[in-house]
Amino acid sequence: MVDQNSNYALQTSEVYVHYGKKMAINNVALNFPKNEVTSLIGPSGCGKSTFLRCLNRMNDVIDICNVKGKFLLNGNVDIYSPDIQVETLREKVGMVFQKPNPFPKTIYENVAYGPKIHGIASSQNELDEIVKDSLHRAGLYEEVKDRMDDIATGLSGGQQQRLCIARAIAIRPEIILMDEPCSALDPIATAKIEDLINELKENYTIIIVTHSMSQASRVSSKTAFFHLGNLVEYGETGKIFTKPDKEQTNDYITGRFG
Amino acid sequence: METAHTDKNFEQKLNHLTDNLIKMSNIVEKQIEIAVNVIKSKDSSDAQTTQNLDEQVDEVERDVRDLSFEIMTLHRPVASDLRLVFTALKVSKELERMGDHSRNLAKRAISISSSFDEDLTDQMHNLGKGVQKMVNQTLESFFKKDEVQARISWNQDAEIDRQYKSLLSDLIERMHNKETSVVDEGTKPILIAKSLERIGDHATNIAEEVIFNITGHYIDLKKTDFE
Repeated sequence: MVDQNSNYALQTSEVYVHYGKKMAINNVALNFPKNEVTSLIGPSGCGKSTFLRCLNRMNDVIDICNVKGKFLLNGNVDIYSPDIQVETLREKVGMVFQKPNPFPKTIYENVAYGPKIHGIASSQNELDEIVKDSLHRAGLYEEVKDRMDDIATGLSGGQQQRLCIARAIAIRPEIILMDEPCSALDPIATAKIEDLINELKENYTIIIVTHSMSQASRVSSKTAFFHLGNLVEYGETGKIFTKPDKEQTNDYITGRFG
Repeated sequence: METAHTDKNFEQKLNHLTDNLIKMSNIVEKQIEIAVNVIKSKDSSDAQTTQNLDEQVDEVERDVRDLSFEIMTLHRPVASDLRLVFTALKVSKELERMGDHSRNLAKRAISISSSFDEDLTDQMHNLGKGVQKMVNQTLESFFKKDEVQARISWNQDAEIDRQYKSLLSDLIERMHNKETSVVDEGTKPILIAKSLERIGDHATNIAEEVIFNITGHYIDLKKTDFE
């Protein structure tokens, strides 16, 4: 049952996902506390990314993907309700992907695009402020302030990923989904993104899929371990990485799988 | 039975760490056994053996320390592996201290006159046997990951302390009474008894580490169910 009076940004229960006849998620229930970072971990094919993509209906575009279950935003908004426009949902639940994917536009336009199409800014000045503020929050402003009209694809990988985070937060979401956001980055760029995640949680709820155990332990306060489409264990990150309840979790995080 | 590691190099290092602890435990158990026997036999060559074994203990402790550091640096252990490394570091330190106490008490035991009070010698020997049993059971609980046995061992320290206090008050009383054979030896019997009592304390610390290694929690010393 979904708790209506909770401090959860997002609550899910009885989630099943099938790709055709193949089951990808099997009866998962998971709640995400507000202003906390939750990591989803597990081996490839365990369903963690599929589950993440359910949270802002990214799976809608896959014809053979069938999603069932309860998904409540802020305790009362059913994100799969026919009344909910996907674009509106994605204003609330933004996403950052594995590979930085800036638009082939200027740095400024990359960040300004979302607020423009969602009608968030009422004037050019306000739009300028949103772009500046978003770049600031993403820790990128100082590095790009003198070249806002340069093409974004000329930035380094780490800068591009921070630009994508700035683009995600420019539309003022409540939740940011991150699907292995650092897997294409070097250790310094990774450290900057992790530092940023730590700062962003003040204002946002973050759900991150990661293959890096050390990243999960560094950035998140809660961790969920998936295996073969099942949620094996969910709990405080400190506990999961010192004394998980399930032997399967222990085997995975200590590298005993396979 | 724990599943094998995917990383064989890491697996080998963890096994090597456990092997070192088994080796260290075997040496310290031997050291304590010999030292306790020396209380009665006053055999100086046995006392020298405890000294020689102590050097081996120190060497294995350094190996455990270096290997633990290497594992933490290169393999970043978590969960059960992290607890093993953490426990290995602490247990090896406790074992090293036990070895020192055994060496010291054997050295003192041979310096006590053979005419020393027989009853007090028996009391010291019995205390030593009790400590020896507690140490053996505690170390067995570590390698068998037996939480119940670790808790039983932990509780045995109260009996060791009781015997130690009884022996101590007996010694002091006889000193008060100016019993020559006791007074002549000065503080040596007291220090032997203290070394045995300290070995018991170190075994208690190991029992706490065993429980942490198995459960991920340290036992609450205030809880009465351990008393």
